[in-house]
Amino acid sequence: MALIEIENLSVTFTAKGRKVRAVQGVSLSVNERESFGLVGESGSGKSTILRAICGMAPITGGTIRIGGQPLPTPRGRAFSRQVQMVFQDPYASLHPRHTIDRTLSEPLAIHGLADTDARVVQALKDVGLPAAFRFRFPHQLSGGQRQRVAIARALMLEPSILLLDEPTSALDASVQAETLNLLNRLRTERGLTFLMVSHDLAVIDHMCDRVLVMQHGRAVEELARETLAAAGMTTDYARSLFAASADRMLET
Amino acid sequence: MTLLSVENLRVTFDTEAGLVEAVRGVSFSLGRERLGIVGESGSGKTMTGRAVLRLIRPPGKITADRMVFDGQDLMQASDREMRALRGRRIAMVMQDPKYSLNPVLKVGAQLMEGLRQRDRLGRAEAHAKAVAALEAVQIRDPDRVMDAYPHELSGGMGQRVMIAMMLIPNPDLLIADEPTSALDVTVQAEVLSILDGLVRDRGMGLIFISHDLRLVARFCDRVLVMYKGKVVEELAARDLTRAKHPYTQGLLNCLPRIGGPRQPLPGLDRNAEWAT
Ligand SMILES: Nc1ncnc2c1ncn2[C@@H]1O[C@H](COP(=O)(O)OP(=O)(O)OP(=O)(O)O)[C@@H](O)[C@H]1O
Ligand SMILES: Nc1ncnc2c1ncn2[C@@H]1O[C@H](COP(=O)(O)OP(=O)(O)OP(=O)(O)O)[C@@H](O)[C@H]1O
Ligand SMILES: [Mg+2]
Ligand SMILES: [Mg+2]
Repeated sequence: MALIEIENLSVTFTAKGRKVRAVQGVSLSVNERESFGLVGESGSGKSTILRAICGMAPITGGTIRIGGQPLPTPRGRAFSRQVQMVFQDPYASLHPRHTIDRTLSEPLAIHGLADTDARVVQALKDVGLPAAFRFRFPHQLSGGQRQRVAIARALMLEPSILLLDEPTSALDASVQAETLNLLNRLRTERGLTFLMVSHDLAVIDHMCDRVLVMQHGRAVEELARETLAAAGMTTDYARSLFAASADRMLET
Repeated sequence: MTLLSVENLRVTFDTEAGLVEAVRGVSFSLGRERLGIVGESGSGKTMTGRAVLRLIRPPGKITADRMVFDGQDLMQASDREMRALRGRRIAMVMQDPKYSLNPVLKVGAQLMEGLRQRDRLGRAEAHAKAVAALEAVQIRDPDRVMDAYPHELSGGMGQRVMIAMMLIPNPDLLIADEPTSALDVTVQAEVLSILDGLVRDRGMGLIFISHDLRLVARFCDRVLVMYKGKVVEELAARDLTRAKHPYTQGLLNCLPRIGGPRQPLPGLDRNAEWAT
């Protein structure tokens, strides 16, 4: 049995009588300890799928199960111990008037966990930020530094599933490498399961065992890592993404 | 022809925890070309871009020996003169597009604002121009997006709205801070070709800040490599993959590759001497 099972998921936003069918009948399943990627067109519904899992999008059809169980609404505390999300937009997801210290310690307080100080310092260290950054506010950080705080926050509760939305697109090559290495190490050490979105096929190839290609709210094609690297895709859209990524192939 | 010249630019923040020197003596000049700025997170790329527009919030301070845009001294310009330049002649696509858009105003209203006030267009004409600008950046349903609030957009849609908005007034200089980081590769290619066209056909100057070294190598003409607030290397973009500086080489070595090994990616050994 897969850890995350999404069956025939549809999400429709209604804004002023207008319907936006952001996700239309998408199915995917992620095994325990697996890393599963989502790629595809901008606006195709990737972030919406992650948000739907977290109970933050209007599900209009289909089911989501974790560990075989349907998810409660609202998701509740047990869910946030198990599943954490790193949002695409680090600026919007960090409270502008809270220090980094408060941002990182709040989840611990809510869940009644001890050792706040040590855990905050360790979390900053894990994502390669100096401990002194605790006392800064989000606007005093660069874009990539904010993103690392967002990743640190997701790790505070030691979840078993991480939903990662473009976790490294705001990071430079060296911090990206450190972050991807950290994520992979945590996945091995703690047996984590990842569902991650990225536009960079090289990042997906490095991180994921399987990947689902999306376009315009629909699943286009699912590829195993080997198929991706060997250009074995069968749909035109997946092929066009691959072709436009020629600059990130392994030089032979 | 030089559009912008910057000499010994410094940006410092006097914080409670001490002085933060975000930019430490950066010099460059820009013609009607595509200048890339790369470098690690926190190296001062955004602050360099914002300093050109004098958009550094207190307690941040800007100093420079010289900062001249098209004959106008930006260090001496009054606040009023700076406001007249911003948006109209020099535009900046911000790194956090959704944060830079007004959250309580519909996208359409934000796109049309300048067209109505600055260019004094009628409603219908402004609307048509705004829709065309959205179509140009590959927005699938421009009418819906005109009517949407920023939080109803995907990450990449917000980025494209921001680009569309900045390009509407036909600026002479565009500072684009990670403008395509949230775009899939095929939409990204379309957006880049718009920028490319503006540089080539209209002679716009472009400062392209990006983490994506491979993108910068194939898209830009020249590249500045920044490290800890300084430019450590300047080179032709096509030579980026053959960079001399160990820092630039190190950055390139950290990149994952399709079909590459699954081992941990190489890290970067930072050398304190690079920053002096
Ligand atoms: N709160 C909302 N109200 C209305 N429409 C929304 C809302 N959130 C998202 N949408 C729409 O749903 C669609 C899918 O958005 P989503 O953010 O999932 O795309 P994405 O695949 O993550 O794209 P990107 O790669 O650009 O981040 C878009 O058309 C978007 O405008
Ligand atoms: N208001 C502030 N107070 C103190 N330090 C600041 C402030 N704003 C920025 N900084 C610091 O200035 C340095 C340069 O920041 P800048 O935003 O220019 O980096 P960047 O190169 O754009 O990085 P990124 O690629 O992560 O966006 C960073 O170390 C940042 O922490
Ligand atoms: Mg998204
Ligand atoms: Mg920046």
